[in-house]
Amino acid sequence: MRAVETLSADILILGGGGAGTLAALHASNRPGLKVVVAVKGLLGKSGCTRMVQGGYNAVLHPDDSIERHFLDTLRGGAFINDQELVWILVNRAPQMVAELENRYGCFFDRNPDGTIHQKPFGGQTFDRTVHRGDLTGIEIMERLRTALLARDSVLVLEEHRAVGLLRDRGQGRVCGAVLLNIRRGTFTVVQARATLLATGGGPTMYRMATPSREKSLDGIVLAYQAGALLMDMEMVQFHPTALVVPGSELNGAVLEEGLRGAGAHLLNSLGERFMARYDPDRMERSTRDIVSRACYLEITAGRGTPGGGVWLDISHLGRATVEALFPGMVERTRAAGFDLATGPVEVCPAAHFIMGGVVIDESCHTTIPGLYAAGEDAAGVQGANRLGGNGVAESTVFGALAGDVMAEEVVGTPRLEPDPHEVEAHIEAATGPLRRDAGEDVYGLLDRLRELMWAKVGVVRNRSGLEAALAELAELKERAARVKTQKAAPAFNLEWQQALNLRSLVAASELVAASALYRTESRGAHYREDFPDQDDENWLCNVTAVRAEGGLRLEKRPARLSRINPLVGERRQ
Amino acid sequence: MNGRGRTVRVARTAPDGRRYYEDFRVPLGPQTTILDALLYIHRHLDRTLAFRYACRQAMCGTCGVRVNGVERLACYTLLGAVPGRVVTVEPLRHLPVIRDLVVDFGPFFRAWAAIRPAFVPADNDGAEPARIRPDDPDRRVIDRHRECISCGLCYSACDVVGTRPGFPGPAALNHALCLVLDRRDGAGPDRLKPIDGPEGCWACHGLLACSNVCPKGLDPTGAIEDLKRLVAFGRRRNGVAV
Repeated sequence: MRAVETLSADILILGGGGAGTLAALHASNRPGLKVVVAVKGLLGKSGCTRMVQGGYNAVLHPDDSIERHFLDTLRGGAFINDQELVWILVNRAPQMVAELENRYGCFFDRNPDGTIHQKPFGGQTFDRTVHRGDLTGIEIMERLRTALLARDSVLVLEEHRAVGLLRDRGQGRVCGAVLLNIRRGTFTVVQARATLLATGGGPTMYRMATPSREKSLDGIVLAYQAGALLMDMEMVQFHPTALVVPGSELNGAVLEEGLRGAGAHLLNSLGERFMARYDPDRMERSTRDIVSRACYLEITAGRGTPGGGVWLDISHLGRATVEALFPGMVERTRAAGFDLATGPVEVCPAAHFIMGGVVIDESCHTTIPGLYAAGEDAAGVQGANRLGGNGVAESTVFGALAGDVMAEEVVGTPRLEPDPHEVEAHIEAATGPLRRDAGEDVYGLLDRLRELMWAKVGVVRNRSGLEAALAELAELKERAARVKTQKAAPAFNLEWQQALNLRSLVAASELVAASALYRTESRGAHYREDFPDQDDENWLCNVTAVRAEGGLRLEKRPARLSRINPLVGERRQ
Repeated sequence: MNGRGRTVRVARTAPDGRRYYEDFRVPLGPQTTILDALLYIHRHLDRTLAFRYACRQAMCGTCGVRVNGVERLACYTLLGAVPGRVVTVEPLRHLPVIRDLVVDFGPFFRAWAAIRPAFVPADNDGAEPARIRPDDPDRRVIDRHRECISCGLCYSACDVVGTRPGFPGPAALNHALCLVLDRRDGAGPDRLKPIDGPEGCWACHGLLACSNVCPKGLDPTGAIEDLKRLVAFGRRRNGVAV
C-alpha cells in the first residue's frame, strides 16, 4: 500500500474547465466554505472549454428570442432533450455572457455600434453565436483561471485525476474521491460534503477525435461505477470538419463551424456540393449530425479525397476576408500543409462531444446523494445532437448553477467518513499496471479500440456491427485489465496515465455500443442503417443506463416533454 | 531505420535528479511536429520519457520546450523545419524541472499573480455588457496584446527574468497593460503600483526576446514600453492610446 495523503473539503470539484472553474467561483462566493478543485491537467488549460473556437450561443439581440433558442436547441436535439434543462440553458446564457464580461473581464467581439457581435452557426434560426475571433475559449478560460486563482478559499490541485468516487457505508452518499497525483505518482483522498463531476466528457475512443488529448470520459465512467443513472450514451457527436493530417497528432483538429456559417462549401472528389443531396434547404449550414453523416457517406461511397476526407472550401470569399474572419483557422491549416485562405482543405468527421452522460435534475443533482454533475459529464441539455455554440453555454451555465446549489446544500450536511476498504480497492485497481512484470501493451489496445469504435460504433451503425463490437469490447476490457506499464519513473508516468485512460474509454465504449444497439431507430447523431428512420411513436425516449446486479441495465424512459410536444405541436406553457 | 529520419536529442532527468541528454532517431514525415516526435519516442523507444501536452493545436499553451535553444510550442513546430544536424529539445528555463521536459509553472504563475491579474469590476451590478466600439482607441491597443495563452515561452526566453527574480516577466506585464487600459476595470491607479519600480516594468531593457518567441505573434516588449509611458506620463501625453 502506497502512502496516501488525506484532505478534507466542503466541496470537491473534479475538473478545471468551464464548468469546474465557474462552479468553484460560484461556490466560493459563499464565505467560509473550503473548495478543492482537482484538474487532470493544468487549470483552465486542459479540457475543451479552452479549445472552443466559434463561440457561445446566447439571446442578446432584440429580434431574437429565448423561445427561438429553446426551439432551435430542441430541434437540433431531435426532441429528446430534457426541456427543463434546456429552458435553464437558454434563459441563463445571456446572463452568463454578461457575467463573463462584467465580472471576470472577458471581452467578446463587437459590432460597429459597440454591442456584442453574434455570428451564424449551424441549425440556428438567428445569428446568435457570441465569440472572440475564432479562438473564443482562450479568452474565457484565461479570465476564469485568473479569477479563480485570486480566491483564497479555493485549493487547486493541478495534474490530479480522480480514479474512484467514495461512498459512505451507511447511507451510500458520495463523500469524496480518490485522486492520483500525476506529478508524483501518489494518491490523495479527498473527503467532501458535496462532489461535482465536471471533467468534461471527451469521446477520444475513435480514430478521428477532436478533444484535448488527456480526456477519457472519466466523469461519466466514475459515476456509472458508483451506481449513478446515465442516459443517451449512444449519442456521440461527430464534428463534420476535422483536419486530415495523417501521421500527426494534429489529425482531427477542428475547423470551426463558423466557416460553414460564413458560406464555406463542402465538395466531394467530383467537385459536387454534396449537401444538396442530404439537406437541400440548409446545405452546409445544416446541423452537425446531418453534415457528418453526409461527409461519411460520400467518403464510403468512394467520392472522398486521397486522404480519406472531403474538401472544405471557403476561398471564394477572398483571401483577405478569410484571413480577417478566421485567423486562427488559417494558421491551423497552414500548420497542416493546407491554406484555408486560398484553396480547399481536407476534412473528415471526428468524434467531438458526447450528448449523453449522467442524469441530472434542474439543480445538477445526480441520482446519488452528494454527487452533482455539470457540463459534458451531464446528459439531457443537448438531446440527440448538440448545436455548435451550445457546449460552452452549457458548461458555464450549469457549472455556475452547480456551484450555487452545492454552496447552499452543504451547510448542515454531515461530514461522512469514506469507507477505507473502498479507498484501498480504488488504489489497488489503479496501480495494477505498475505491479505486473508482464502484460498487455497499452498503445496496441488503444489503437484497436479506436479502430473498432470508428468502424462499428461510429457515424453509421447497424446491428451486426454493434454486436460484434460488444463482443470485441468484452475482450478488450479483459486485456485492458492486464496492461503493464513502466514503473522505473513513477513521477509523471505518461504510460500509466494512458493505461488509466484506456480503462475508462473501454468502459464508456461498452455503454455507447450497448445503448446504440438498444435504440432501434435513427435520431440525431445516432444513425442505424438497419433502422434508418426516426420513429417518434416508439422512440421519443431516452435510453437510460445503470450498473445493476449482473451488469449493465438499459431502459427506455419517455423524453421530458414538459413544455412542448413535437407530436401534437401543442405548447403547454 | 528506413526512409527519412532525424536525430532528436532530449534533455532527461536521472532518478537521482542528475540531468543528461539522450539521442533518439525519429522518422520524419512532411507534417511531423516536435510533439509527434516526442510521442513517437515515448511509444516506440522509451516509455519513461515525460513531457506535457493537451490540446495539440496551440491553444492550451502547455507543451512549450526549447528547440535548439529557442522557445517553441512542440505541437506547432515542424521537425523538418528545424535547422541543424541534431534537434535538441530541452525544458523551458527559469522554472523547476519536474522530470525530463516537464516543468513546474509555479514561479511563472506566481509572477503572474504579483501584478494582481484578476479583473476588478468597476460596476458590480452591470446587467448588460459594456458598449464599446471596436474602433475605440484603448481597445485597439488592447486588441494587439490579447490572445496570450500563458504558455511561458516568453518567460523562459527573457534574460531579465533569469537575473532579477522579482521581475514579473513579459506575459504578466502584457496582461497588465490590457487591464490598465480596460475602462471596465475598477482597480484604478492601484493597477500601476506593482508594475512601477525597479523590479517592475523598468527592469525590462527591451531585448525583444519575448516578442521574438511568442507563438501567437504578440509583442510583450511593446506592451511593456506602453506601460512605461503610462507610469511616467499618465494618460495626458496620449503616449499609448492614440
